[in-house]
Amino acid sequence: MTYIQRRGRVWELVAEQAARRGGRVSAADVCAAVVPGVHVTGAWLSAARDGQAGHLMQVTDELSRQLAELQLTLGEGPLLDASASNGPVLASDLADAESGVRWPAFTAAAGRAGAAAVFAFPLVVGAIRAGVLGLYRDRPGPLSDFQLGDALVFADTATMLLLDAQDPAAGDMGPGAGPGGQPAGLAWRRAEIDQATGMLTEQLGVGIADAFVRLRAYAYANDLQLASVARDIVARRLRLSPDPDLSLRDET
Amino acid sequence: MDGQLLSATFVELTDTMVDDFDIIDFLHVLTSRSVELLDVSAAGLLLADPRGELRVVAASSEAARLLELFQLQGDQGPCLDCFRSGQPIASADLSTDQRWPQFAAAAQQAGFSAVQALPMRLRDQVIGALNLFRTTAGPFDADTVPVGQALADVATISLLNERSVRRSDTLNEQLQTALNSRVIIEQAKGKLAERLGIDVDTAFTLLREQARNRNLRLSDLARAFVDGTQAITGPASGSARSSRPGTRQPRPGPRPAR
Repeated sequence: MTYIQRRGRVWELVAEQAARRGGRVSAADVCAAVVPGVHVTGAWLSAARDGQAGHLMQVTDELSRQLAELQLTLGEGPLLDASASNGPVLASDLADAESGVRWPAFTAAAGRAGAAAVFAFPLVVGAIRAGVLGLYRDRPGPLSDFQLGDALVFADTATMLLLDAQDPAAGDMGPGAGPGGQPAGLAWRRAEIDQATGMLTEQLGVGIADAFVRLRAYAYANDLQLASVARDIVARRLRLSPDPDLSLRDET
Repeated sequence: MDGQLLSATFVELTDTMVDDFDIIDFLHVLTSRSVELLDVSAAGLLLADPRGELRVVAASSEAARLLELFQLQGDQGPCLDCFRSGQPIASADLSTDQRWPQFAAAAQQAGFSAVQALPMRLRDQVIGALNLFRTTAGPFDADTVPVGQALADVATISLLNERSVRRSDTLNEQLQTALNSRVIIEQAKGKLAERLGIDVDTAFTLLREQARNRNLRLSDLARAFVDGTQAITGPASGSARSSRPGTRQPRPGPRPAR
């Protein structure tokens, strides 16, 4: 399955959840959709503004809440490691020796509570940190390659939804919306998008997360492809102003 | 092939791996050495993201056009074929090759006439490919495939360094961390380029130099710079400018403290 197909399918599953709930698509819907989506028992989502501690936003069941809280209480666990390393931590068997050595207190407590595997996905775009997505299974076993691919795209979707929700300037963009009703900003393949985001931190005098939100908002408001806006910024044909109504395009 | 250069390169690469090394910086060095050793014009490494695409993680030159050409192969080209088949794929003359019309046109426009892709294999799995470009048409040197394959294997091993390979999840964890590090570095390149009024390629060189000078891992410095906890100044010449000609936009107000 290609990335584009996978992205579209995951977005449909998330949007279905929102429709069932009768609300606009939000990160909470990712939590509900990922459980059947990648065949796990439960999921939880913590949101974090850059550099600040996260708060538990959504849980799908009581054990998920316990797992999230356990790690904070004990100060160890896969999600804390995922946040620290900015890469996923895939503990497919909490009873194995490596997990036991890595998180002695957490694995014991999680095992007693009924969790056998925990998968932690940091919600990141480079240096942007939006939170963390936790999944657990009541039986040990790794995510298949296919499930891992889906889980990563669910996490990407949650990242975008959290970033949009955190920024009032993105309000009229509609959470996670982009041209064609697809989640925008998931076109990872263009280095220019990341470079332009970095450039905007300087142009706008804001942090990296806000710069990314502003980049996406500009593309959305002007009905342009994110990659083409990014390219114009990197080529210095376009500068964004701290005042959103005053962005300058150099037509030379 | 220069035997001395060959052994020096492998000593350098394996020496780097024993320390707490930065994977992106390491792979950048590996692609640069591939160019020198294999007598090719450009080299790039693509890794398979479980999301369903190949992503550029390092290249011998950070020129945007080149990165884009490597990335184009996520859709079509020798790298994708190599990844899917697990076999080396070559084209000695792109002007007559019918297999990848879109890629061949883009490669020739960028000045390349021949291409070779070598698989990064781990047991029965293909995790990416090393991609070599040459400006002249004609078959690759007899040494290119075996030595290039050895370099591709070193790249594979480097992704597995930190923890035991016994755990099947380790590779996927490392891969995602590497891909995200690449994004952090792109963000840092952009921020530095804008701050100093330089292009993004120069910004990459400066980032690498400063990481070396401060004895920091490239990704760690890039992150700290983006987060605003480490400052980076321009080259000693003082050529950095706070504003560029042709920009009509006044600088934004006071910046957050660094």
